[in-house]
Parts: sequence; structure tokens; C-alpha cells
Amino acid sequence: MMEQEILYNKIFGISGKDFANAGSVSVKIKKILKEIGIKPEVVYRVSICCYEAEMNVIMYARIAKLNFTITPNEVIIIIEDEGPGIENIELAMKEGFSTATQEMREMGFGAGLGLPNIKNNSDEFKIETELLKGTKLFFKIYLN
Amino acid sequence: MQLKEIVNILECKNHTDEGLLWRDIEYCYATDMMSDVLKTCKIGSLLITGLVNQQVIQVAEIMDLKGIIFVSGKEPATEIIEKANEKNLPMLTTEKQLFEACGILYTFGLRGREIFQKADDGTGNSI
Ligand SMILES: Nc1ncnc2c1ncn2[C@@H]1O[C@H](COP(=O)(O)OP(=O)(O)OP(=O)(O)O)[C@@H](O)[C@H]1O
Ligand SMILES: [Mg+2]
Repeated sequence: MMEQEILYNKIFGISGKDFANAGSVSVKIKKILKEIGIKPEVVYRVSICCYEAEMNVIMYARIAKLNFTITPNEVIIIIEDEGPGIENIELAMKEGFSTATQEMREMGFGAGLGLPNIKNNSDEFKIETELLKGTKLFFKIYLN
Repeated sequence: MQLKEIVNILECKNHTDEGLLWRDIEYCYATDMMSDVLKTCKIGSLLITGLVNQQVIQVAEIMDLKGIIFVSGKEPATEIIEKANEKNLPMLTTEKQLFEACGILYTFGLRGREIFQKADDGTGNSI
């Protein structure tokens, strides 16, 4: 694969259970993309994916790093968390599957749509997980 | 339809800046699930929900929602109202329940994203 020029890169931290700041990283990313002048469709798709991934860290993991990169052709997001990992990825990717607690459901989460939403809004999507270690989510959204 | 008219129709209480009520609403969406909004809601819709918390405001910012109506007389906490004001997000409350509120707005001509409508804003997998 050819090395790509990096136009922008920033790493954000996300803490599990931090419901008070939930979504703030995604909102920051949205603002950056908008300021740079990325077209709205891409801005929305990236923000939606980031929000879903950020919420999953807050709900299920202990801590994570979100690596946000813009190249001339795409936005690349890598989110690596320390957490329980996902037992069955195929199941987790199914719409409607959720292990959200009652408390999370009362906050409006647990529809089991987050991971499918990320997959549907991205152009490339990969998920890796190791039980009791954590989960790594990788997705790309093309600029054109 | 302007938010101002919606305030009248649903007998809403307005919690944010009056000046925001001139906003024109084209589409509405109703749910209590955040991922539903991110999956199906049209960008720039008015959200009608029974879910009253900070998360709704963050999702509103992601989806550039034009406003939020909390139903069933649920009152947002002061922090939530402050946040909405900071973000210029109109926030209304009505005593009407979700079904009733949506039904009334529908009869006044407001619509959601049709299920067969292609995602023209590029989001989601609506076909
Ligand atoms: N980072 C993660 N670490 C551990 N488990 C995860 C992680 N992300 C997702 N999961 C598991 O996968 C399931 C499905 O995730 P998904 O985001 O699709 O739905 P949800 O979070 O349950 O509900 P929603 O996103 O609609 O609010 C979760 O319920 C959880 O069990
Ligand atoms: Mg989720």
C-alpha cells in the first residue's frame, strides 16, 4: 500500500462511564471537519460513526484512544479500548442485539444499532477484539 | 412550518431564545432511542421525544437538529436548558403525549423521512 500524506491528525482520550462528557469528542471532530470545509455528507457520516463508537466506549469499556486522521482522500478513525472485549462479533453486529443495562436504556441507548450504524456509514470497516483485553475499531470514510 | 406555529398547535412552553422560533421545520422524527436518531432521522429534523437528558443535546448537535420537543410534560433540568441555549437549540415542552403530539403535527402537514426515500443527505442505509 502506498504511504498517504497526512493532512491532519489528532488523538483524543475517552473514559468509560463518563456520561457527562458523552459525545464531546465526536462533536469536536465534527467541528474540525466543518472548519476545514469537508463536504456536509462526509461530516455527518464521520460524526455519526464517531458518536456511536464513543458511546460504546463510555458504556462498555474502561478507557480508549481515538485516533483521527485526515488524508487527501479519506478520514481514518481508529478507536482502541481497554475493556471486556466482545464475545461474539457476528452477534454484536446484528441490528437489535444489545447488552446495555436498564440504566443505559433509560438514557436512550441499547437499541443495538450502534455498530451497524458505523458499518453502514463508513466505506471501510474492521473490528478486532480480544476477550478481557479490549476492542479495536477501524473505519474509513472517503472524501469523494 | 415555523416553530412558532408548532408552539401554538401543541401548546408548548418554550425554554430557549424566542428568536429561534422563526426556524422553519420541514421534517420531524420521534423516538426515545439515540441510535434511532443517528440511523434514520433526516439531518435538520425536529425531534419529538420523551427522553430528557444531556445526550439528546449532543445527538442534536451531531445531526444539526432544528429543535427538540419533550413530551408528556417532562421538564428539562436547568443544565439541559443552559446547554441548549449555548448551542442555539430551540427546546420546547408539551403536556401532550408522544403519539398525540406526532399525530397532531402530521395532520398539520409535517412528515418524517419516508422509509422508501433515498438518503439524500448521504447518511444511513435508508433505501
Ligand atoms: N467497545 C466495546 N466493548 C465491549 N463490548 C462492546 C463494545 N462495543 C459494542 N459492544 C457490544 O456489542 C453490542 C452491540 O453494540 P451496538 O453499539 O451495536 O449496540 P448498543 O450499544 O447495545 O446499542 P445502541 O448503540 O443502539 O445504543 C453491545 O451491546 C455490547 O455488548
Ligand atoms: Mg452502541
